[in-house]
Amino acid sequence: MSQTVSLTGNRGLLWLARRETLRVWKLWTQTVLAPIVASSLFIVVFGFSLSGRIRHIDGFPYREFIVPGLITMAMVQAAYSNNSSSVFQARSDRYINDVLSAPMRSWQMNLGYNIGGVLRALAIGAGLAAVAVPITGVPVREPLVLVPAVAFGLMLFSALGTIVGIYAETFDHHTFVNNIVILPLVFVGGVFYSVSRLPSPWHELSHVNPIFYLVSAVRYGFLGTADASVALSVGVTAALAIPAYLWAQWLFTSGRKLKA
Amino acid sequence: MIDSLGRVPVSAPALDVRRLTKRYDDGTVALEDFDLTIPEGMFFGLLGPNGAGKTTLINAVCNLIRITAGDVRVFGEPGSSLLARSWVGLAEQDINLDRFLTVEETLVYHGGWFGMTKHDAERRAAEMIDVFDLRAKSDVRTPKLSGGMRRRLLLARALMHRPRLVILDEPTASVDFELRQELWRYIRRLHEKGTTILLTTHYLEEAEALCEEIALIRAGRLIARDTASGLRRAYTADSLTEVYVKAMHEQPCPVEEAAA
Ligand SMILES: Nc1ncnc2c1ncn2[C@@H]1O[C@H](COP(=O)(O)OP(=O)(O)O)[C@@H](O)[C@H]1O
Ligand SMILES: [Mg+2]
Repeated sequence: MSQTVSLTGNRGLLWLARRETLRVWKLWTQTVLAPIVASSLFIVVFGFSLSGRIRHIDGFPYREFIVPGLITMAMVQAAYSNNSSSVFQARSDRYINDVLSAPMRSWQMNLGYNIGGVLRALAIGAGLAAVAVPITGVPVREPLVLVPAVAFGLMLFSALGTIVGIYAETFDHHTFVNNIVILPLVFVGGVFYSVSRLPSPWHELSHVNPIFYLVSAVRYGFLGTADASVALSVGVTAALAIPAYLWAQWLFTSGRKLKA
Repeated sequence: MIDSLGRVPVSAPALDVRRLTKRYDDGTVALEDFDLTIPEGMFFGLLGPNGAGKTTLINAVCNLIRITAGDVRVFGEPGSSLLARSWVGLAEQDINLDRFLTVEETLVYHGGWFGMTKHDAERRAAEMIDVFDLRAKSDVRTPKLSGGMRRRLLLARALMHRPRLVILDEPTASVDFELRQELWRYIRRLHEKGTTILLTTHYLEEAEALCEEIALIRAGRLIARDTASGLRRAYTADSLTEVYVKAMHEQPCPVEEAAA
C-alpha cells in the first residue's frame, strides 16, 4: 500500500479547488476576459459619454463614481454564475459523485466548490481595476475596507451560486435567478447613481436591497465616501454571507438534493 | 482497530451491511432490512433484475445516498469514514466523466481527491493509461471519447487510488464482445492480486465463470447466496441461468412465502 496517501481530506480540497479553477483557466477568454471587456466598455461608454451631462456625484466625476459599482457587479455575477453552472453541471452529469464518494469532509467539498467562483471573481476584479483605475483616475482611498467588503461579497455570491447549483432542476433555473433576482437588484443597488438622490419611496426601498450595501461598501473602499456607513454596509454583507455559506455547507453535510 | 500499517486486521470483512433500509423521498423502498457480508479477497456477484436494488446497495456503500436505516462497514470501518471511503473504488453503472477534463486529468484529479500526491497520481495515471490502452487519447477531453474508451476510463478511474474493494456496477453493459473479454481479463488479474470485487452484471455465464459467490436479489431482498454450484444444487438447475429464472419467477418467492 502506498504511504503517500493523506487521509485528512486536505489534499482533496486542494485538488477540488484546482479542478474548479482549471475550468475557469481553460475557458479564460469567456470566464475572465469577456466580463472585463464588457465592464470596461460600460466605463468608457457611460462614464465618458455621460460625464458631460452628469457632472459630479458626491464630488466625484461620473466616470469615477461608477467604477466601484461596475467592478462589484462584474465580480458578484461571475462568482454566482461560475458556481451555479459548475455545480449544476457536475450534478447533472453526475460526476459530482466522484467527489461525494471521495475521502473528504463535507466542509472541504463546500469550500472546494466555492473557491472557483471566488478566484474567478478576483481575477476579473483585479483585471478590471487595472484597466479602470488608469483610464478614469478613480482613487483607492480605503483598501482596508475593500478587503472585507470584497471578501464577504464574494462569499455571499459564491455560496448563492453553489446553493442554486444544488437546487436547480434545469439549467434555466440558474439563468432565471440571475436575470430575475441578481441583475435587477444590482441595477437598483446604486451602481449607476447615488441612492441618496432618489425620491421617496425609492430611497427607502433601496435600503432593503442587500446589494446596495455591498456596492456602498466597495464604493467606500475606492472613494472614501458612500451612501451608507461603512460599518453598516460591511455588516449587512457579512450578515448575509455567513448564513448563505452555512446553507451551502448544510447541503453538503446533510446530502439534501445532492444524494437521493 | 487499526494496526501500525494503518490496516485493519484481516478478520474484518471487506463489506458488512447490516439491516440496511433505503426509502427514497418518493416513498419507494428499494432495500429493506438487507444483510450482506463479503469476506476480504472474494470475487462476489450480485445478480437481480432491473430495479432489484443493486445500485441502491452500491450507492449506500459509496456514500452516494442517504441511508434510511442500518449500518455499512468497509473492512471494519464505518462506511462514511474517510478510511472506508479511501478503500473503495467505484465504477458506476452510467458513465459519469467530468466533461472539462482530459483522460489524464480525469485520473490525476481523482487520485487527488482520494489523497494522492501529484507525483504519485501522475505515475499511477500513466500506468492506468497503459493498462487500459488509453495512451493515444490521454490528452483528449472525455466528451470526445468513444463509448468503449469511456468505459475503460471509468474503470481506470475506479482503480486509480488502488482500492481494496472494487465495486463494478454493470461494467460491461453496452460493451462489445472484445472489450468485455478484455475488461474481465483485467478484473480477474486484479482479483488474483487480492483485491475484493463486488460485481453486478446481467451476463449470467460470465458471473458464473468469474464469481466465487453469488447473491440473488429481488425487490430489495436477498433471496439466495451461495457459490454457483451451491445455487445450482439448491435450485436443482443445470446452469446459473436456470437458477436465475427459477429464483426470479418462482411465485411466490421463498422470502415472501416465509413472511406469509
Ligand atoms: N433516486 C431515486 N428515487 C426514487 N426511486 C429510486 C431512485 N433510484 C432508484 N429508485 C428505485 O429503487 C428501486 C431499486 O433501484 P436500483 O437500486 O437502481 O435497482 P437496480 O440497480 O437493481 O436496477 C427501483 O424501484 C427504482 O425505481
Ligand atoms: Mg442498477
